[in-house]
Amino acid sequence: MQEYKRIDISKDQIVPIAERMRKENRYLVMIHAFINTEGQMDISWDYAVNPAVESYHVVGETTVPSIGEIYDVAAIWPERELNELFNIQFEGLDTSKRLFLPEDMLETQGRGQIMVTPLSELVEKNRKEAEQ
Amino acid sequence: MSYIVPIGPYHPALEEPVHAKLYTEGEVIKDAEVFVGYNHRGIEKLATERNAIQTLVLVERVCGICSHSHALTYAMAVEAINGIEVPKRGEYIRVITAELERLHSHFLWLGIACHIIGHDSMFMHIWDERELVMDLLEKMTGNRVNYAMVTIGGSRRDISDDLRREILDACVKLKGPLDRIVEIALTDKTIAMRTKGVGVLTKEDALRLGAVGPHARASGVNIDVRRDAPYCSYGDFEFDIPVVDSGDVFARVVVRALECYESIKILQQALENLPATPINLGNKLVKIKEGQVVARHEAPRGQLSHMVVGNNSLTNYRVSIHVPSYKNTPTVPHMLRGNTVADAGLIIASIDPCFSCLDR
Repeated sequence: MQEYKRIDISKDQIVPIAERMRKENRYLVMIHAFINTEGQMDISWDYAVNPAVESYHVVGETTVPSIGEIYDVAAIWPERELNELFNIQFEGLDTSKRLFLPEDMLETQGRGQIMVTPLSELVEKNRKEAEQ
Repeated sequence: MSYIVPIGPYHPALEEPVHAKLYTEGEVIKDAEVFVGYNHRGIEKLATERNAIQTLVLVERVCGICSHSHALTYAMAVEAINGIEVPKRGEYIRVITAELERLHSHFLWLGIACHIIGHDSMFMHIWDERELVMDLLEKMTGNRVNYAMVTIGGSRRDISDDLRREILDACVKLKGPLDRIVEIALTDKTIAMRTKGVGVLTKEDALRLGAVGPHARASGVNIDVRRDAPYCSYGDFEFDIPVVDSGDVFARVVVRALECYESIKILQQALENLPATPINLGNKLVKIKEGQVVARHEAPRGQLSHMVVGNNSLTNYRVSIHVPSYKNTPTVPHMLRGNTVADAGLIIASIDPCFSCLDR
């Protein structure tokens, strides 16, 4: 059975731990988040310290520092996902573009390969059909 | 002249939807962006409304290629939370299914890679051999995909002695064609010209960007969860982990081809030493105890992790699935830079991406 170690930390420790892990060439397994049974955000940074996974948890915070400068896209993608799905703010993370289903896919409508009918038009079309 | 070349989300060269934007200067790619989410099915949310047995069925449908990997990793997480120890035979059957899955996944990718570079005879030859593996999986599990071999506390189906011998014979039978495939892959001029020096990811970048699986091993990073954090009795088997340093598409071909030999090696050891224990603990529906665990498995494309949170009820409190393509896809823009538009499809495909896994 694989070992899993939960370690609770404060948000000031996120970056120093990430720096130490990166220096030791540890893999960032994942950054997870969920709202716990007490209604608090539980964010965890899981590192492969083989054969175990060390999971560093920050509970009750919705704004935390980004570790994108340390782990590059390995951290940036999960941070963007958590920002889009849970509205967690990662200080220093560029959120000017969406990772999942970018809104600018409409830009090539009718000209490129991407054909998307805006929702408002679909609603209007359905309304008209229903009236007929 | 600068162009923005959009690829996808729906494109004849892509098996699954993804959207890439290539920023080019003439033929040369200067930068690239990848956007995902077109295959999102809300699997993680659905899992919070299901019990452990229902979730096994659900997570198998995350991906059609590595379906066993998802069920296995989820089961490992629930077993770890509940302190369930799987009987040895159940573990060995899990390993056998996982390695057959790896074989068919690697054969599939090798075939597709040859198809993309225009070597269609090789593509058909490889997929023909893949059918042998698919037939074995069908005989063993009843299905060509979504094998439903895993249950909480073991495996759902046993392997009869006849089937055991048949798979062992097939392992010997596979080696001949595999030798030929590897020889062609290593010596064919067409493959070399299209793949050598293309889409390079250096070891330093692979470590920094967090590449996993054969993609990382093709860049000289010696990682494999089966050895680094053994599970499911993988510690009982002797196998090598092929690592190549060049980091180009050719290296990814070589690593995956060589890994097929290692899977056969593991299969033979598991089948020859199949323990005489029960295969599971009785398939009872379990309450998922209070706790949180991350389980990891070396899926065909790399490290797969499932985080499961339980709160002493039948349903999951939270399931978070993170797949190798989630780690490898962000490395694609890095690999595309400096290459030509003509190689973009091959470079994207070289990580063996699975967007239904990535989007969940």
